[in-house]
Amino acid sequence: MAEFLNSIPTLLFLIILPAFTSVILIVIPSRFAKAIRCVSLGCSSFVSMLTVVLFFSFDQSVTGVQFSDRYEWLSIPGPWGSGEGAISLILGVDGVGVTMVLLTGIVMLAGTLISWNISTFQKDFFVLYFLLISGVFGVFVSYDLFFFFFFYELSVLPMYLLISKWGSDSKFATFVRSSEYSALKLTLVLVGASVLIWVSIVAIFVQAELGSFDINQIQENGIGQLSVQFQNIFFLCLMLGFGVLAGMWPFHTWSPDGHVAAPTAVSMVHAGVLMKLGAFGILRVAVTLMPEGAETWMPLLFAFGLVNVIYGAFSAMGQTDLKYVIGYSSVSHMGYVLMGIATLNVLGMSGAVLQMFSHGVMTALFFAVVGMIYERTHTRDTLVLNGLTKKMTIIAIFFAMAGLTSLGLPGLSGFPAELLIFIGVFKSYAIWGPIGGSLAIVGVGITAVYILRLLSRVFMGPLPEKWDDQTDANVREKLVASVLSIVILVVGLWPFHFFKVIEVGISPLLERLA
Amino acid sequence: MQLSTSITTLLWLIPLCCFIAFGLSALGKYFITRIYYICIGAIFCAFILSFLVLYQFVLSDEGVFTTSVDWIVIGSFAITWGILLDSLSVIMIGFVTFVSLLVQLYSLGYMLNDPRISWFFSVISLFTAAMLVLVLSDNLIFLYFAWEIVGLGSYLLIGFYYDREAASQAAKKAFITTRIGDVGLLIGILLIYKSTGTFNISSIIDMAQNGAISESVLTSSSLLIFFGAMGKSAQFPLHVWLPDAMEGPTPASALIHAATMVAAGVYLVARMHAFFDLAPVALPIVFCVGLVTFLIGGSLAIVMTDLKRALAYSTMSHLGLMMLSLGAGTWVVAILHLVVHGLSKSLLFLCAGSVMHGTGDQTDCWSMGGLKKNMKITAYGFTIGALSLGGIIPLAGFFSKEEILVSLTEYGGLWPIILIVVLAGVFISTFYITRLTVITFYGEARSDHAEKAHESSWIMTTPLVILSALVVMFGFILVPLPFVENYKGLGHFIDPQYKLHFVPWLSLLSIIVASSGLLVGWLFYGSNVISHKKMAVRIFPFYDFVVRKYKIDDLYQWVIDHAVLAFARLVSFFDRVVLNDALVNGTGKSVLLSSFRIKYLQTGRSYNYAMAMVIGVILSLAVWWLA
Repeated sequence: MAEFLNSIPTLLFLIILPAFTSVILIVIPSRFAKAIRCVSLGCSSFVSMLTVVLFFSFDQSVTGVQFSDRYEWLSIPGPWGSGEGAISLILGVDGVGVTMVLLTGIVMLAGTLISWNISTFQKDFFVLYFLLISGVFGVFVSYDLFFFFFFYELSVLPMYLLISKWGSDSKFATFVRSSEYSALKLTLVLVGASVLIWVSIVAIFVQAELGSFDINQIQENGIGQLSVQFQNIFFLCLMLGFGVLAGMWPFHTWSPDGHVAAPTAVSMVHAGVLMKLGAFGILRVAVTLMPEGAETWMPLLFAFGLVNVIYGAFSAMGQTDLKYVIGYSSVSHMGYVLMGIATLNVLGMSGAVLQMFSHGVMTALFFAVVGMIYERTHTRDTLVLNGLTKKMTIIAIFFAMAGLTSLGLPGLSGFPAELLIFIGVFKSYAIWGPIGGSLAIVGVGITAVYILRLLSRVFMGPLPEKWDDQTDANVREKLVASVLSIVILVVGLWPFHFFKVIEVGISPLLERLA
Repeated sequence: MQLSTSITTLLWLIPLCCFIAFGLSALGKYFITRIYYICIGAIFCAFILSFLVLYQFVLSDEGVFTTSVDWIVIGSFAITWGILLDSLSVIMIGFVTFVSLLVQLYSLGYMLNDPRISWFFSVISLFTAAMLVLVLSDNLIFLYFAWEIVGLGSYLLIGFYYDREAASQAAKKAFITTRIGDVGLLIGILLIYKSTGTFNISSIIDMAQNGAISESVLTSSSLLIFFGAMGKSAQFPLHVWLPDAMEGPTPASALIHAATMVAAGVYLVARMHAFFDLAPVALPIVFCVGLVTFLIGGSLAIVMTDLKRALAYSTMSHLGLMMLSLGAGTWVVAILHLVVHGLSKSLLFLCAGSVMHGTGDQTDCWSMGGLKKNMKITAYGFTIGALSLGGIIPLAGFFSKEEILVSLTEYGGLWPIILIVVLAGVFISTFYITRLTVITFYGEARSDHAEKAHESSWIMTTPLVILSALVVMFGFILVPLPFVENYKGLGHFIDPQYKLHFVPWLSLLSIIVASSGLLVGWLFYGSNVISHKKMAVRIFPFYDFVVRKYKIDDLYQWVIDHAVLAFARLVSFFDRVVLNDALVNGTGKSVLLSSFRIKYLQTGRSYNYAMAMVIGVILSLAVWWLA
C-alpha cells in the first residue's frame, strides 16, 4: 500500500479533493439538496479513508519526511542568487503530521455527517466547510513556509462566514453574545496573531539567506545564520502567534466564544482540529527552525500552559452553558499540550502530540453530542436540562464517554496522552517540573469535578415533565458518535502504534536540540 | 518451567474473561435479552481459574511469577502491562472472584425484575475485572489504570438508579472524593518514577532498600500513595462517599464493601509495605488515620437507623482497623482482616438486601423487628455475620481481630494506651452490630411490612448459606491445622516470616470486651433493662452531633459551595469582564475610537491641506537650518 501511495501524489490529493469538492458544490444548484449531501459525504468518506490508509502505511521504522512531493512555483532573485523555486509547494508528512492528518480525516467525516440537517443554505455551508478542511490539510502537510502560512490563513478565514452566518447567539442574564461578535473577534484575533507569524517567517527567509522557504532546507543549511539573539526574538513572536490559535492564556477568549457561537460541525472542526494548528505550528516551524530560541522561551510556554490548565478548568466550572463548559475545557486541555511541548523531551512532546489527537477526537464527540441535545431541546442551559438519560440513553452514554476521556480515565485516549505529558514534565525543569506537574495533575482533579457535576446535573436525577417527549439519537448520529468513541477506545487501550509513529516525528526534532 | 508458562496464560485469562463479558454484555444487551448469563459464566470461569492458579502456585517451588506485555514504548522508555503473582495476589484473586461470584448469583434473584439487569451485570463484570487487574499488576501505572477503572465501576454502580437525585449525588460524591485521593496517588507514583526511573513495584522496593531513594522522596511519595489509599478505602477525612454509596443496588454495596473498591486501598499499602517501612514518618501517620477512622466509623454506626448506612459506617470503622494494623507494621494481619471482614460484610449486606426484598425495599431498621419469624435463613445468616464482625469466638472475625491486638502490644512505649483505645473500639463494634441485629431481626414486628415479610428465593438464600458456612469455618484456616502438614496458618502462607501467636491474657481480655459489648447491646435493645431513648436524651448534644455525622459532610458542602464554586465563578467573571470586555474589547474599541478622532484630520478642504503643507515646509526648513 505504501508503494502505491508513494506513486501517486497522495498528499496533494488531500488538499485538492476538498477544494475541488467546494468547486463542484458551487456548480450544483442548491435545490438538489440530496446531490449536495451525497457529494459532500462522498468526498468526506473518501478523504478520511485516505487518511486512515495513509496513517497505517506510514513507515514507523524510518525517521524523516515521507510521501514527499515538490511543485516549483516562484523564484525570488536576491543576494542568494537566482532563488530558483524559492516558493514551492513542498509536501510531506512526518510522524506528527500524519497523526494530525488522521485526526482531520476523522473529524471532517464526523462533521459532514452532523451537518446533514442544516436547513439554511446547506450548499454554501459545505462549500466553505470543505475550503476550511482543505486549508487544514494544507497546513499539516506543507514543508514550505510560504504555503504553510497560506493554508494557515485559508483555514481561519472561512471560519468568519461559517460562524456569523450559521452560528447561534448565546443569551446570558445581563447581555447577549451574538454570533457576529464572536466571529469577528475570532477572525480579528487570529489574523492579528498571523501578523506575528508572517513577520517571523519573512525574517527567517531573509536571515537564512538561502532564497528558499523550504523548511527542510533552512533547517539543514540555514540554522547557522539564525543567531541566538535572532532566535530569541523571533521564537517569541512565533510562540505567541501560534499560541493564540492554540488558545494560550491570556489570548484565549476568542476560543470559547467562537466554539459556542459556531454551528456544531464547525465547533467540532474548530476545537478538534483548528486549535491544534497552533500547537503544530510551534512544533513544525518554531521548534524546528529555532532550537536555541526554544530553549530560552520554553519555561514561559510551560508557565502559560500551566495557567491554561488551571484557569481553564476553573472557568469551565463556573459556566452554566453546556457549550461554554466544553469551550473552556478545551482551553484547559490545550494547556496540557503546551506543557508537553515545553518539556522538550521525547516523552512530554509525544504525549503532547497524542493529547492533540485525543483532545481533537474527544472534543468533536463532545460538540457532536451537545449539538444533538441542542437540536432536540433548543437549549444548552444546564440549569434547565436535567435527568436526560431517561429519554436520551445513547446520547448520555456518548456524552459520558467524552466526559470520562476529558477527566483522563484510563482506557480512554486522554489517559496515555496526559500520563506521558506528566512523566515528561516531572523529568524536566529540576524542581519546577514536579511542582508544575503536580499542579497539572490537580487540574485533572478539577476537571473531574466539573465534568461529574455536569453529568450529574444534566443526565442524572429525575426527568422534568417538559422533556418527556424527547427522542434518542438516530442512526446517523449514533454512527458519528460511535466512530469517534471507537477511536477514543482504541487509542486509550492500545496507544502503542500511535506512540511509535509520533516518536518518529519527535525524535529528529530533539536530536537537533541536543 | 512448563508449570510457570501455563500459569502465565491462566493469569491473563482471569481478568480478561470478566472484561470480555463486560464488552459482550454491554453491547449485546440491545440484541439478546438474557445476555447477563455471560457475566455469570465469566466470573465462574475466573473463579475456577483462580483456584487452578492457587493450586499450581502451592505446588510449585517458585515464589513469584511475573509476566508482562509492552503497552507504550518510546525509545528506551517503556510502560508495560505486567502481572505479578505472589502469595498476596493469589489470595486476593481467590477472594475477589469468590465474593463476586456469590454476589452475582445472588443478583440473579435480586435484580430479576429490573429492566436494566444486563447493564448491572456488565458493570459488575467490569468492576470485578478491574479489581483483579489491580491485585495482579506488577507496576504502579498498570495498578493506577485498574484503580481508576474500579472508581468508574463504583460510579456506575452507585449511580445505577440514575433517575434518583440521591443516587446521582452519591455517585458524583464517590467519584470526586476518590479522585481527590487519586490525584495524590498519581503524583506519588510520578515522584517515585522521577527518582528511580521505573514503575515496577519490586524494582522500586529493591531500590528503596538499597538506599537509592532519598528520604524526602520516600516520605512524600509514601504519604501521597497513602492519600490515594485513603480515598479508596474511605479513611477519615475522605470517608464521606462510603455511606452514601448505599444508593446503589444492595448486591453492588456488598461487592464495594467487601472485595472490591475499599479493599484496594488496604491492598495497595500492603503491597507497598516494604516501601512504607523505609519512610520514617509514613507508618505512624497511617496508624493515626486508621485509629481515627476506626473510632469515628464505629461511633457513627451506633446512631444510624438505616440498615445499610449503619453497615456502611461499620465498614469504614473496620477499614480503619486494617489501616491501623498496616500502620503498626503488620501488613499480613491487615490482609487477613480484609478477607475475614470482607466475607462477613458481604454476608451482612446480602442479608440486608434480602431484608429489603422481603419487606418491599425498606431500610429503616426501626420499622422492622421480628423478621426472624418469617425470614429464618436471612436472620441466621445476618446473626452469624454480625457475630463474626463483632469478633465473637470462634468465628473468623475473632482470630483476625486477635492478631491485630497482638500486633499492638509490640507498638512502642505507648502500647497500653493504644490497646485500651482499640479495645474501646472493639467494644463499640460489637455493640453496634448487636444493636442492628437485635432491632432488625428479633423482638416484635414494629410495622405492617415487617409483619408480612417473606423469605427470598433460593437463588438469593444459597449464597447466604455458603457465606455463613464459610464465615463459621474460615477462622480455622487462619490458624495452624494439626492434620495438614507444614501448614502454619494463612498468615504464614502469605508471608513466611509471619508467625501467628496468641497471647492468652489478651485473648481473654478481647473475649471479655466483645462479650460485654454483646451483653450491653442486648441490655439496651433486646431487653428493656436500659432505655436507649433516655440515654439519647441524656447525652443529646453529643448524640445530635454524631447523628449529623460530626458535621463533616456539611463542612465539605460549605467548602464546595462557598470556596470552590465561588472561586470558579470569580474566575469566569474575571475572564469575561477583565480579559474579554476590558482587554480584548478595549483594544478593539480604542482602535475604533482613535480612528474616530483622527478621521477629522481629513477635512476635504484644500486650504486646510495647503496650510498643513506650508507648516510642514517651514518646519523642515527650520530643522535643516538648525541642524
